[in-house]
Amino acid sequence: MILTILRILFLRLRNNPLELVLVFVMPVVFFSIFAGIFSKGIATGSDKKLRVGWIAAHENALSLELRAFLEKNSTLQCSSLIAKPSLADLDDEAEEKSIAEIEIEATIAEAQRSGRYDLIIRLPDDFPTRLADSEDSAPCAVQLVTDGQNPMAVAMVTSVVRGFFAQKKAASAAEQLVSLSLAAQSSSGYGSPREPNASQYFDPVKDPSQVFGNDQDSRFIVTNSDGVNSVNGVSDVPKEWAIAPPKSVFTTEELLETELADKPESENDEAVSISVENPQAATQENPRIAMYAAGIAVLFLLFSSTGNAAALLEEAESGTLDRILVSQAGLFHIVSGKWLGILLLGCLQITVMFVWAELFFKIQLAKHIVGFCIMTFSTAAATASFAMLLATLCKSRAQLNAVSVVIILSMSAVGGSMIPRFAMSDRMKEIGRWTFNAWALDGYQKIFWFQSPLTSLQNEVAVLLGSSLVLGVLTLLFSGRWKRG
Amino acid sequence: MTESSATTVPPVLTLHNVRKTYRGREALKGISLELRPGELLGFFGPNGAGKTTMIRCISGLLKPDSGTITRHPFDHGDDDDPDNDEPIRLGLVPQNLAVYPDLTVQQNLEVFGRLEGVSGKALKHRINEVLEWAALKDRTRSLTKTLSGGMQRRLNIACSVLHDPDILLLDEPTVGVDPQSRERIYEMMQQLTADGAAVLLTTHQLEEVETRCDRIVVMDHGTIVADGTLSELVSRTIGQPHRVILKFDRPCSKPLAAFAFDEPRTTATCSLASMKELPQVLSVLKQLDQEPSRIDVRSYGLQDVFLELTGRSLRE
Repeated sequence: MILTILRILFLRLRNNPLELVLVFVMPVVFFSIFAGIFSKGIATGSDKKLRVGWIAAHENALSLELRAFLEKNSTLQCSSLIAKPSLADLDDEAEEKSIAEIEIEATIAEAQRSGRYDLIIRLPDDFPTRLADSEDSAPCAVQLVTDGQNPMAVAMVTSVVRGFFAQKKAASAAEQLVSLSLAAQSSSGYGSPREPNASQYFDPVKDPSQVFGNDQDSRFIVTNSDGVNSVNGVSDVPKEWAIAPPKSVFTTEELLETELADKPESENDEAVSISVENPQAATQENPRIAMYAAGIAVLFLLFSSTGNAAALLEEAESGTLDRILVSQAGLFHIVSGKWLGILLLGCLQITVMFVWAELFFKIQLAKHIVGFCIMTFSTAAATASFAMLLATLCKSRAQLNAVSVVIILSMSAVGGSMIPRFAMSDRMKEIGRWTFNAWALDGYQKIFWFQSPLTSLQNEVAVLLGSSLVLGVLTLLFSGRWKRG
Repeated sequence: MTESSATTVPPVLTLHNVRKTYRGREALKGISLELRPGELLGFFGPNGAGKTTMIRCISGLLKPDSGTITRHPFDHGDDDDPDNDEPIRLGLVPQNLAVYPDLTVQQNLEVFGRLEGVSGKALKHRINEVLEWAALKDRTRSLTKTLSGGMQRRLNIACSVLHDPDILLLDEPTVGVDPQSRERIYEMMQQLTADGAAVLLTTHQLEEVETRCDRIVVMDHGTIVADGTLSELVSRTIGQPHRVILKFDRPCSKPLAAFAFDEPRTTATCSLASMKELPQVLSVLKQLDQEPSRIDVRSYGLQDVFLELTGRSLRE
């Protein structure tokens, strides 16, 4: 008996291709999508790199060196931003900031809105040409401009920039140390025929005080790599270089470590001062929550829209559609009425989600209400047409359920409703452009995250409303099958 | 509807040589018929005969490949001005329950009334009438899915008559209902025809067609194989409507007036035009040299006509 029950189960499964797709194909499809997102990106064959924008008021030797260092880093994809005068709104801020500053800020804002950068490195006008000459000198200022989407980007770039300055500082310290050593050697006979190659170990330094500061009471003995000690009491060295009788004996490496270790950690990083700026932070509140709300809302909007459109199939199966078609309502009225109903329900559904988010997470809905309305209408219109077309093409509710689950989950995974789009590879983002989710989320992002002007929504609105129109016309064309039975 | 009125009243619907190929099969092969006001026309035929296709063609859901379907303008007024003629109002009752199960009875009637262009006070008034007519007055606020099968069927019909149609097409309206509900449904249809509506229904229920319909159309393989009242059909296909059959244990040697013997003369058959002839026919039994082992008196019905016309082979 158990075998018979088992046989029934397998026979039903075998005779139902849609269920087979859901059971066996769907998991594989989803695995592939997520694998594509979280591994190397679909068909790109390359790891996802952080896209770093670079903008400097003036390039100089040090900035170019830093730029080259960043470009060498395999985790970063560095590209320059060119300040465009046309982007700057000079009237408002010209009195407080220089024109160049305003242009740079406008360029950064534009770059952030484009979504092409995870982070932008901005070097100020007074970025030095070389590392700080003394401890009194101000550290090199580096500004990281983030849109807050990818917190990992800030941490990673900060680490890389600090690494650069740490290397520079260490190299500089080493140079100074060696120079000091050479000077001591020269006074004690090193560099003479007895030690002709001593200078080969190090490059000369210009000013050993860079390493040891102004502590004129320092007294030490330097040991070179061969273990030969210099001696104090050298007569021809400057007074501040005077070497006291040894308290102990150090190697140069130990000396460097000791010098650095004696200083507080913060002082070790003094070569660079990294500040992180989020231009939107001052005026935005919980934009991440707004993005989550949009992602979830669009996902469920797709499901609810197809669910509502499925009523058309139910009506066809029960004969209710025939009854309505025979009445004074024609096919156009039926399709239009259904579409309008799904559109209104969709708008209401998204609104409820955002109102909830506003009440409990303060996403500043009122401040962005116009943009929200535009995007919500466009998104709901596109999904309504999409749902109606699916319902028109499917033969039964069961078929629609299976097809819609596959399509909607795939669209949502690729389009950013499940995984943030900034975490995706460029290839994946491009693929996402074929989904409503991506366009809708990009639009909501511009509103709630970048607080862009309404005109910046033109692409998203055009794509969504255009899709709605095209799919709507296709729905009307294919809906003739209801009359043909 | 009387015989005379059936011929004098102009038809509200005329089908002329209608052909339709549907899903690769010729479902209708030149159908011609007329439907008159106040007439209850029963379409009877096996599965796949083309009944539903014909109803879909009449209702406009399907377009015939050839032939014409004419809904004649109907004068609803008292004057003779042909310009006052309104287009025919058509109602369709699909085979399945074509109502919204999640709506109440009242809500279903309201939405279907509005879809037929009835609104406001007229709709409210009409809903009250229809609720009485369908015996659903006490269930107006009930969700449709909570109604019994018979009530749902009545609501299914009620939703199609809110606009007071001139022609009502019903596709097997009594499938799966109990005898009481079936009785009520036919009473509803008789009230409609009494009010002048033309009703065309398809059914598999022989008894319903025989006893309820003014006229019967038998369809098979997309063609009308018979059309008329039951007695007309019987007389056309079988002949006399009644038959007396005598069975003998051994061959009967004597001839028997009015009876025809088969070989080997163990069965004798006599057809009757009326049951009134039965005593006279049976009186001849006195002439026999042996008693019949069995006497059957049989009246022919639609099933005999149907089997005679369509054969006994299974369909579909």
